[in-house]
Amino acid sequence: MSTVLATRGVSKYFSGIMALDRVTLEVNAGERVGLIGPNGAGKTTLFNCILGVLPVEVGEVELNGEDITSLPVHHRARKGIGRTFQQIELFADSTVRDHLVIAYRANRPRWAVVHDLLTLGRPRPEEMEASDDVLELLGLQGLADEPVERLSLGQGRLLEVARTLMTNPDVVLLDEPSSGLDRRETAALAETLVEIQAERGFAVLLVEHDIELVSSFTTRSYLLDFGHLLTSGPTEEVMASPEMRAAYLGTAVVA
Amino acid sequence: MILAVSVVTDFFQAVLQGVPPGTVYALVAIGFVLTYKTSGVFNFAFGAQAFASMVLFHKAADEWGWGTVPAAILSVLIFAPLLGFLLEWAVFRHLRTAPPLSTLVVSLGLTVAIPSLVTILLDFSPKSGSSPHGVVPDGRTVRYDPFGVYPFSRDELVATIVAIVAVLGLAALFRFTPVGLMMKAVVESPRMTELNGISADRVSAGAWALSSFFAGLAGVLIAPRFTTFSANEYFNIMVIAIAAAAVGKLVSLPWAFGGGLGLGVVIALVSTFLPRWTDEFAWLKPVQENVLPSIPFVVLFGVIVFVPGLRKAIGSSDPLAGVDPPRQNVASVITSAGWMFLALKAVLLLGAVAVVYTQADRTWTLLVTQAVAMGIIFLSITIITGLAGQISLCQGAFAAIGAFAVYQLGEVRGMSVLVAVVIGGAIAAAVAAALSLTLRQLTGIWVAIATLAFAFFFDAVLVKQSWIGGDSLARSRIPRPVIGTIDFQDDSNFLLLAVIVLAVCALGVYLFSRGTTGRKLRALGGSEIAARSVGISPSRARVAAFALSGFLAAVGGGMLVIGQGSVNYGTSFVPFLALFWLIVVVTFGVRQPSGAIVAAAFFILFESVFLKGEIFGWILRGEDNIPSFFPLAPDWRYILFGLGTIQYARHPEGVLAMSAAKRRARSERRAADKVVVDSAAELGTPA
Amino acid sequence: MSAVLELDDVHAGYGPFRALFGVNLSVAPGEAVAVVGSNGVGKTTLARVASGLVRPTSGRVVVDGNDFTRARTFQFARAGVAHAPEGRSTFASLTVEENLELSIRRVRGNSGVRAGLDEAYEMFPALAERRQQLAGTLSGGQQRMLAMVRVLVDAPKLLVADELSLGLAPLIVEQVYEMLGRVRETGTALLVIEQHVSHALKLCDRVVLLDRGSVAWAGPASEAGEHVQSQLGVPAH
Repeated sequence: MSTVLATRGVSKYFSGIMALDRVTLEVNAGERVGLIGPNGAGKTTLFNCILGVLPVEVGEVELNGEDITSLPVHHRARKGIGRTFQQIELFADSTVRDHLVIAYRANRPRWAVVHDLLTLGRPRPEEMEASDDVLELLGLQGLADEPVERLSLGQGRLLEVARTLMTNPDVVLLDEPSSGLDRRETAALAETLVEIQAERGFAVLLVEHDIELVSSFTTRSYLLDFGHLLTSGPTEEVMASPEMRAAYLGTAVVA
Repeated sequence: MILAVSVVTDFFQAVLQGVPPGTVYALVAIGFVLTYKTSGVFNFAFGAQAFASMVLFHKAADEWGWGTVPAAILSVLIFAPLLGFLLEWAVFRHLRTAPPLSTLVVSLGLTVAIPSLVTILLDFSPKSGSSPHGVVPDGRTVRYDPFGVYPFSRDELVATIVAIVAVLGLAALFRFTPVGLMMKAVVESPRMTELNGISADRVSAGAWALSSFFAGLAGVLIAPRFTTFSANEYFNIMVIAIAAAAVGKLVSLPWAFGGGLGLGVVIALVSTFLPRWTDEFAWLKPVQENVLPSIPFVVLFGVIVFVPGLRKAIGSSDPLAGVDPPRQNVASVITSAGWMFLALKAVLLLGAVAVVYTQADRTWTLLVTQAVAMGIIFLSITIITGLAGQISLCQGAFAAIGAFAVYQLGEVRGMSVLVAVVIGGAIAAAVAAALSLTLRQLTGIWVAIATLAFAFFFDAVLVKQSWIGGDSLARSRIPRPVIGTIDFQDDSNFLLLAVIVLAVCALGVYLFSRGTTGRKLRALGGSEIAARSVGISPSRARVAAFALSGFLAAVGGGMLVIGQGSVNYGTSFVPFLALFWLIVVVTFGVRQPSGAIVAAAFFILFESVFLKGEIFGWILRGEDNIPSFFPLAPDWRYILFGLGTIQYARHPEGVLAMSAAKRRARSERRAADKVVVDSAAELGTPA
Repeated sequence: MSAVLELDDVHAGYGPFRALFGVNLSVAPGEAVAVVGSNGVGKTTLARVASGLVRPTSGRVVVDGNDFTRARTFQFARAGVAHAPEGRSTFASLTVEENLELSIRRVRGNSGVRAGLDEAYEMFPALAERRQQLAGTLSGGQQRMLAMVRVLVDAPKLLVADELSLGLAPLIVEQVYEMLGRVRETGTALLVIEQHVSHALKLCDRVVLLDRGSVAWAGPASEAGEHVQSQLGVPAH
């Protein structure tokens, strides 16, 4: 099995305070991996380092064996990292279709001007096709021409997934997909995620507080606290580990 | 040896000479930093506030016959703080959670509105030839020479001493008093200050009053430096002061003071020592002539571009910032106007042109032609601000590039003026692209300030170059084009040509915004981080937008001067005016091309139609029926549009879109099959 | 005697982002109530509503018998609700002494500042050594202490403590909770928002378990164990 995404000894300091301490993790092709830990454990920081939102001074981030540590966000995206956001980030003033079309185009930048002149700015046939496919996959068929302001939070989150799928990612980073959703919505979201992951076969790195979602969705997990990787392994084992109890209940770890 | 002594003397003299203007810059910079620190507002209106106090001071001292002291007390100690209080209470308090760009636009609006408003309300009309004076008698003529190298005028001395005392006082306030402590707390986090039981609103109102007091003080003290009562001068001084403030990353009071003082001294030093080189190096002459006026703008530009920490200087320091609701993106009110609606508008527009073409007299034809050319320039604002979400304050410079290209290529070199227009557009596009490449790491107010610095650099230096600005007499002989048998010397014909160019440009803007780059820009505007994370490069899209915007502005500028037959840089393209363009376009809607076109019509025709009351002449059939209180002062347009920006902050989509949204809301209510649910409740429902 | 704080069917959120759905809660004088639940269920929002940082979209907030639903944050503070916010809770750009001064002056007036400061330093001598140091340069634990000392000098009716243990080493957490115990002894009621359940359970009389913005269970701390366990998916002990 090949490694899609890896961090090698990534450390991160904020004005002298250590947020990440030599974190090394790997995500294999098609694998669903969880990243868990209490508030302030450094999960978001690690996410931002992988995505390039924060610069990494110590350590390396690799994608498909290539060192991407110093690439800007949009280059990483084109190379195959997709993501969703905890507080959904959609493009205002746009329809669902617009979101998918621009994500598709951003990754195929050639001859944009020529195409624009030929189509007068309308989506091209292959873009319509690709976006229809993704919308169907996510059960958003009827919403293609809706402005995003009319979507529910759950639909918005699915649209983020759809948008990232248009770039054909090798690995998708899901940032707290359940936040702001209730139990029922979370369950529905999890079901959809499982389906599309099976269909498209991308790898997933999931940051999530909802233990249930992590347990049902991931096969393997990393536990992070105070910027250290405490333990890793099959999700069930991590959940039952003494480190997990310590991290979540605040008892001192007996090493 | 003698040479060395004279160099030392010169040096000393230059330093002393630089101190008085330096303290003035420092004073303005400090007031400016004070507002920025305590309210987060980048207050361009600071210069306008200073101007207002200066006007009141002169009104009281000269016309009401008050003594200097009571007049100074009224204008600086009473009026200025009240004005600051009023601004905070009526305007900026409501903009706390507004995006920084709309706050910036509002402060630009106040910049143009306040001077006119004060002048009109006070009925201030200084006698021709009179010039501002200081707070002491014979301030200009009485001189003191404490060191025997440089004689300070009494005005300079007073200004310097008062400024230093004021700055020390401010330092003491922050260092030793409870009020200062509260202000520091509010600066860091208004929320946390409130958790301590202190009303952040009240503290922040106090801070506005205090900074406005500094504005008033600066306004009165620096008045004798100018020969006329002009708000422009105050705006210029403020741009220099921003350079001083930028040295301290806009938040450090001591650095702002040092920056101002340093700028004054550096300018004096350069002006003292530069000529020496050029005795032998004649080729340095143009450099020498232009270095001086460009220093502040080069410093400002340089600081913004090269100091990386600057951008993070403020914001994100409040640990409780998450309490505010996420910034509202401009609600989608217009998804597509629909072809029917567009066609209707086109028919109306063509109808209006037809009426003007066949019926209007020469004056009106020329006015409408100007409006059409202005429309092209304004489309450049639609692109850069409406689509790319950047505030550019150098559109005037781009338009001027087009105008000067027409003059240099068409008039001086005898090229066809229409070809010259296109070449001018290309040059401006290249300049704009280069500018935005330099600024590609920046967003928000930093782009606005950097472009402002460029605009002033262009204004102070480039326009005066003979290969750009040329000879002002010759600039009034721009020929009209001839295509085949059609001679555009005929004003009506030229109007038609201008309308065609406008139509082509508007179509281009429309296609650009629907095309790939337009989509990318809209995505970036909606959420920059999300756009980048699907692979969109922000800088590339923005460079494209800047280039197109520069091109349009230059084409518009070119058409404008061909229509007028001359390049009137001073009345058409100066930075202050370009700032007003932005405000007008923003008021009418910066997101659709139609907003730009309507804005241009208003901008040009407003004075004739409304201020001179001709519209009543038409309605009441006969010029004699125009009510007697017309004509109104032309300044009213500054006041109306300037204050209009306040409504922009609440409805960023502009007047046109606002009414369109209302129309849509009405029709939706009628349709009634789709119940408009409370968006909150809607968000809660499952997918 | 009426409750110090009463939330009545409170809904709240940030713009379109909803966090609380009809929460009912009351804190009696001197009582200590723990709010627990996994991350992202609205605990912090609840704390912010309790101290006026976030205004509810519907429902009522009553402080000491008075309706504070539309009141400003500083009015909450004046009515005796202190809030130690999540994460950094001191003014980093002010010195330790200035941080203390800011709240002491409001409570005791100009003349009481000196005495208040002395009291504070007596309570926590480590701060006295660092009085001229910028609060931002203190360690996380010291910053929490500073926030607590400020509260102690204040003697509020209610302290809302939001995730005080966040990001602190276990040993420091112990100290912070010891401090909270002292706050309680002075008669101040507590609303403790906590992720580390065990500490909160030890300290508090009553537990409110939040799940996705609503109260899932509320009752005495002694009975909380199994509910907490099923909710968080981990054994409480």
